[in-house]
Amino acid sequence: MIDFSQLDRVIHEKGRLSIMSLLAARSPWGFQDLKSELDMSDGNLITHLRTLAKENYVREDKTTALNSDRPRTTYEITSAGRIAFKGYIKVLEAIVKHSKPQ
Amino acid sequence: MPTPPSLQTTALDHLRVIRTLMERSNIYRAVSAPAALIGGLLSLGVAIYGISQNLLSKRFGNHEFFFAWLGVLVITTIINLFLLMREAGSKGQPFITDGLRMALRAIVPPMLTGGVLGGCMIWLSHDIALGAIVWVLCYGLALQATVSFAPRSIIVLARAFLITGQVLAIVFFLQNQHGMSKWKEDEASFTLGLTFGLFHIIYGIAVFFSKPKSNE
Repeated sequence: MIDFSQLDRVIHEKGRLSIMSLLAARSPWGFQDLKSELDMSDGNLITHLRTLAKENYVREDKTTALNSDRPRTTYEITSAGRIAFKGYIKVLEAIVKHSKPQ
Repeated sequence: MPTPPSLQTTALDHLRVIRTLMERSNIYRAVSAPAALIGGLLSLGVAIYGISQNLLSKRFGNHEFFFAWLGVLVITTIINLFLLMREAGSKGQPFITDGLRMALRAIVPPMLTGGVLGGCMIWLSHDIALGAIVWVLCYGLALQATVSFAPRSIIVLARAFLITGQVLAIVFFLQNQHGMSKWKEDEASFTLGLTFGLFHIIYGIAVFFSKPKSNE
């Protein structure tokens, strides 16, 4: 029996799910790299990142590249975010497994 | 309680999204396009020089051939590493990444094998054409070893090297039976010019003109 309330509503939104997938695979990601990889607008991406940061799933970091004066904003997944993401995948897998004919 | 079909579809769709994005984010391009272009032009130049030297009856023997192509390899590798380093720096990322480690672990064994085997054929057996074919095949295998994390263009390049190397090997052995090798420096220069030269130029141009950030 699946407890659907376990499905993390923050991650369940497709835009945030995409961000979490990229950050879980490889961290950190620069804002521009995330934007071009996901083909999102600045506003859309920043809103999703703020939502994830509010839940403590991602961490923002401002750095300056060696050969550039411009600060660069990078994002990485937190340990809480990784646990939540793994849990979310487990629930999805349980849903798929539960629906399969025996 | 059975799972509603719409939720199952959503779950499958989301799992697909996760898998695709996680795989894509781990893609690493071990051969930079500008380095391939420079290496290709350099290879084509050396191949044309080698053939012209033989046509003019000037010496471009085993040792000259070996060192000329070793020079191409060293120069292209340095340019490639420099460009990969610059690219990582511009993104504010470290040069030594998991991607680079993965690429080296995949590429180095077949490249070393090809280098030793081909080198021995050229230096010790004086079979310059067979040595060149071994280089083509081992380079193809090195690229093929990166298949799990390489972009599609590298996989296509690997296949081009492997198929050409295999075809040339069959033709070589059909034409050079009973241990008598008829293929000499010209054929060896042609083999390397076609593969390391032309294939890399096509790869470099194709990647250069493809959409940036795409998974070409």
